[in-house]
Amino acid sequence: MYLAAAVDNNSTDILAVANSPFLWACAIGVFLVIVIQSVIYMKAAQVAAPHIGMTHQEIKTSFRAGAISALGPSLAVVLVAIALLTVFGTPAVLVRIGLIGSVSYETAAAAIAANSAGAELGGPTYTQAVFGLALAAMSLGGAMWMIATLILTPLLKRGDSALRKVNPAIMLVVPGAAMVGAFMVLGLGELPKSWIHVVAFGSSAVIMTVLMIIAKRVDRPWIKEWALGIAIILSLVITHLATRV
Amino acid sequence: MPESTQIHEALGVFDKTTSRWGRITMIIGLFFSLAAPAYLVFFSGLDIELSGIFAAFAALAAVFGVIWIVEPLTYYPILGASSMYQAFMIGNISNKLLPAAMIAQSTIGVKPGTRKGELASVAAICGAAAVHLTSLFIFVGLLGTWLVSVIPADIVQTVQLYILPTVMGAVLIQAIVSQKSPRAAVIALVVSLIVVFVLSPLSPKMALFSTAIAVISTAVLAWVLRDRQKTEVAERAAEETPPEGPVY
Repeated sequence: MYLAAAVDNNSTDILAVANSPFLWACAIGVFLVIVIQSVIYMKAAQVAAPHIGMTHQEIKTSFRAGAISALGPSLAVVLVAIALLTVFGTPAVLVRIGLIGSVSYETAAAAIAANSAGAELGGPTYTQAVFGLALAAMSLGGAMWMIATLILTPLLKRGDSALRKVNPAIMLVVPGAAMVGAFMVLGLGELPKSWIHVVAFGSSAVIMTVLMIIAKRVDRPWIKEWALGIAIILSLVITHLATRV
Repeated sequence: MPESTQIHEALGVFDKTTSRWGRITMIIGLFFSLAAPAYLVFFSGLDIELSGIFAAFAALAAVFGVIWIVEPLTYYPILGASSMYQAFMIGNISNKLLPAAMIAQSTIGVKPGTRKGELASVAAICGAAAVHLTSLFIFVGLLGTWLVSVIPADIVQTVQLYILPTVMGAVLIQAIVSQKSPRAAVIALVVSLIVVFVLSPLSPKMALFSTAIAVISTAVLAWVLRDRQKTEVAERAAEETPPEGPVY
């Protein structure tokens, strides 16, 4: 087999297997599937929009707002992904860290898997076989999320329809409150970790508040769209300076 | 009313398209994501014991098992059915997709949980996916190996350690402003303070479920303690507007 020369269970040359063409093909496959899904979804949204009193322009604006606000978080993911390239190789980083999962979950999953085999990520015990095991565990773990989504979404949808019929006001209150609750607990959960986390969270919140006030004063909607990226970059700079104190 | 039948039909088509193709694309994505390790395990010539994989998977399930189920439950009311198939394939939901959806909704002035909000979040997630796939492809896929040699390690470390609090600080303010519901914000604050500073320190197991506990309690309390006058007016208005829920 074409990999045979590079494959060696005990070799710590992870990248020889991690960057193999088959893994690249799978990563490109996941990319393409998401592209196709997005195209189908955009079309469906555009077809449905006029019927519920939304203009095509509003759909386009939503697309653009989503794209711009993803810039900051996306570049952050990119930076972390680059940092992990030597540990997992490019295709696995693209699929596991960049897409499907998230940095914290996937790295934790890989570490747990390596530990279960008595090895550690990145050390002398991190052989090609351990990499294979870690990738299998990350992928199976990620698969569980997708399977849960595939099973639960139709069930929830049925419950959702029933709920809306009984009491339409519930959907005016619950989704918004759930969203604020999610960000609140994720944000406050960072605070006990260290004083630098407090600086990161606080500076970002203050910068955003200032940007929102400016956006309101001068009535420029683009500020709202770019605000997240600006706040993330500025507060990362402040946080980076704080780590050097 | 012919107009409402038309709305019904249009939304029915949207729901059918997104749920059918959402599921099909997600299953294909699932296949590709599992094919990579399957190849390494069965065909690459590496000696990876299946029993070892089961052991690793069991260790993972012990830590994350409940989250696999709780996370879809938590995000469903925020994302709506159609976006679920996008979000759980594109990933980075709380730090990228939820903010994108929320900012889009507040830019065009629609609420989460409504059909307009759902369409806005579908479009926003498509936009976020476009940016994300492009930046991953260019900066990680093409330039990654080169970039890893030039970016100073301490900058990478700062980003890695502190990205979550920097994203959340800004996003939280945006969420509070765009929801225009100070009552829900106060409830979320009190609930989160209790969860983060009282419940989570009690046991590490608790910390894993803190998001779910806080989201569910905030949603329930916001509903129980809602401003009844305001929602009743909205309720009456809702009866005259197009159906907000899935229509089939």
